Amino acid sequence: MMPHLADGFTSPTFEYQLLAPMLIVFGGAIVGVLVEAFTPRGPRRTVQVALGLVTLVVAFVVLLAVTRPKLGDLAASGTVAIDGPAVFFQGTILVLALLSFLLFVERGVDSAGDAFTPSGATIPGSASERELVAARVSQTEVWPLALFSVGGMMLFVASNDLLTFFVALEVMSLPLYLLVGLARRRRLLSQEAALKYFLLGSFSSAFLLFGSAFLFGYSGSISFTGIYDSLSSGVGLDPLLLIGTGMVAIGLFFKVGAVPFHSWVPDVYQGAPTPVTAFMAAATKVAAFGAMLRIFYVALGDYDWNWRPMFWVVTILTIVVGSILAITQTDIKRMLAYSSVAQAGFILTGVTAASDSGLSSTMFYLVAYGFATIGAFALVTLVRDGTSEATHLSRWAGLGRRSPIIAAVLSLFLLSFAGIPLTSGFIGKFLVFEAAVNGGATPLVIVGAIFSAVAAFFYVRVIVLMYFSDPPDDAPSLALPGAATTLAVAVCAAGTVALGVVPGPVIDLAQEAAAFIR
Amino acid sequence: MIELLAATPQTSTGEAVAFWCLAPIAVGAAVMILLSRKAVHSALWMATTMIVLAVLFIMQGGIFLGVVQVVVYTGAVMMLFLFVLMLVGVDASDSFVETLRAQRVAGILLGAGFGVLLMAAVSRATFPEAVGVGAANDAAGGHVEAIAEAIFTRYVFTFEVVSIVLITAAVGAMALTHKERLTPRRPQPEQSVDRIRSAHPTPHPSPGVYAQHNAVDTPALLPDGTASEASVPDELRRQGTVRYTELEAANRRADEDGERE
Repeated sequence: MMPHLADGFTSPTFEYQLLAPMLIVFGGAIVGVLVEAFTPRGPRRTVQVALGLVTLVVAFVVLLAVTRPKLGDLAASGTVAIDGPAVFFQGTILVLALLSFLLFVERGVDSAGDAFTPSGATIPGSASERELVAARVSQTEVWPLALFSVGGMMLFVASNDLLTFFVALEVMSLPLYLLVGLARRRRLLSQEAALKYFLLGSFSSAFLLFGSAFLFGYSGSISFTGIYDSLSSGVGLDPLLLIGTGMVAIGLFFKVGAVPFHSWVPDVYQGAPTPVTAFMAAATKVAAFGAMLRIFYVALGDYDWNWRPMFWVVTILTIVVGSILAITQTDIKRMLAYSSVAQAGFILTGVTAASDSGLSSTMFYLVAYGFATIGAFALVTLVRDGTSEATHLSRWAGLGRRSPIIAAVLSLFLLSFAGIPLTSGFIGKFLVFEAAVNGGATPLVIVGAIFSAVAAFFYVRVIVLMYFSDPPDDAPSLALPGAATTLAVAVCAAGTVALGVVPGPVIDLAQEAAAFIR
Repeated sequence: MIELLAATPQTSTGEAVAFWCLAPIAVGAAVMILLSRKAVHSALWMATTMIVLAVLFIMQGGIFLGVVQVVVYTGAVMMLFLFVLMLVGVDASDSFVETLRAQRVAGILLGAGFGVLLMAAVSRATFPEAVGVGAANDAAGGHVEAIAEAIFTRYVFTFEVVSIVLITAAVGAMALTHKERLTPRRPQPEQSVDRIRSAHPTPHPSPGVYAQHNAVDTPALLPDGTASEASVPDELRRQGTVRYTELEAANRRADEDGERE
């Protein structure tokens, strides 16, 4: 019971140790906003870059050193749960965000500067835009915005009631809507993508909020523990629970890009600046799956006989539609977007298992997928036609002869997506399929296996195109990546190989961490 | 939630009458938001819905929520929204052409189906007796106190995090609208001095007026039949969207070919 106000106000206790990584990220972002206001234009970008990178590194160190030993506690009056999966996902998000930030830093591949427009306010192609480009101004608000988004993701995977859950969703999404619209090249496409993402994203948030209201109506509580406890007692209110579950699922399916809520994915991934696409495709997916696992395993844990059929349908649709549409794409960013839809389907296979091994296999798969995705999008930034990226697949023909390294590393990431042995993708697929079979979802695994083969077709097609066809006469130029991009790609490639050859430590870590607290 | 509370056996006659009077207004206004062709009308219908909801909140005992709904949402947010609409000048000339055929019909059917599904689900549920907001208010010693206690004890972290959404909104609005000036603004006296000292102190010639075109992208013709470059904005010339007469365009092509040879 809360103390009576008339008896004097007892201030709430904060578990600062457990909340520290999130507070550091939010704090770093707020300092970034102040830097924006008070630092002169000259050193501003340098300060922002340093602040962003240092914040993420410090948050990660604090997460490992301080939070991990004290696992399994509720924090901030029970609104946040810092348990194994939360810390695992927070760590994954921080690492993936750090890798994406390295791509944000890159100024070497585009002759005019980084991947962002010098000013989102200028009209594309106008005189004022040219003036800012010539002065090499950069839109440094990108950095605090991205940090806010990272903080929101970290809270999203740890939120333990519907209110915090929704607030975290908005904190995570709002900066992303903005970042999507700030591309330097093809700005109209980028702005269109931002608007589409914003409209559809708010629509899906509304579904999630409406669903939360139904869950509250059913259980009389907004905490996940309260909803779980009411599952056995809510006689006569089952229709509310059913509708609430469905609508919350719609909101989350939208965020992970599952069919039939995937229509935004290709347009947004194509229009966004490629580093932002990498960030969204990797970190947002981890956060959305983390939150999905928590709400369906913790709050609706004993209700799986009712939500699993829905997951079955969505999983099968996602794998089938994502794989088939990816085959028909001619643009590499769109192809990777549909591939990420198909990958979401494979990850959902693990979620559908509704068991501890389902949880740990999903956790592993997300790490593997995150590394390969950031790496693949990083390489997309390197192949350029004049000023903008050469994203049409035909432009990638014969790349293997012109740049063996780019082609080889991209092939590695694509093989990992396809689930070829000795890459992280194989281990990930194996683990989620195993968990699904043990969880009684064998038909899902059969569909998954068949469509892994279909998916392998379009991944291998790119590899064949790169190695076995002649480069076009006006072959695209290959940008020499700067240190930041090189580092990011190297880490992603190393991660993809390491998780494929010696996956043991990360699997153990995931299994050890795979226990939600209620 | 309102329907749930109203449908419980405890509902008094007065409450039921008020609910059944107000609910159709709220729903009708919400439908009108979608049907209005003018954005300003939609915004006004939205304000109507919000006010009716505020009355319903107050009726349920949520006085603070009802007042905030009127003051903040209806009073501040919606009116700001109206200002922006009027400033930007969105009007009925917006295109309502469907780019995907039959999308509207499909949307209406699916929306109606979804509504039926929700109503069926809610009507099938059997609700326990409502406790009412009064119980929660009494427990904390008052309505505002109860809200304050929730915000500043259990949900204080969440409440703090909401500030991030506001910061993001502010930073985002600046990022999308604020143009940084690289060169100092030149005041009008200086500009006029420059103008008088320049080769063309008089205004630029106005663009051409023809039977078919009279827009700024159509240059005026000089006595010798050539286009006057000064009559179209520099920006259009740079973009290459100036609309020359056929004769002029042909001359220009000939000139370019001549230069190439």
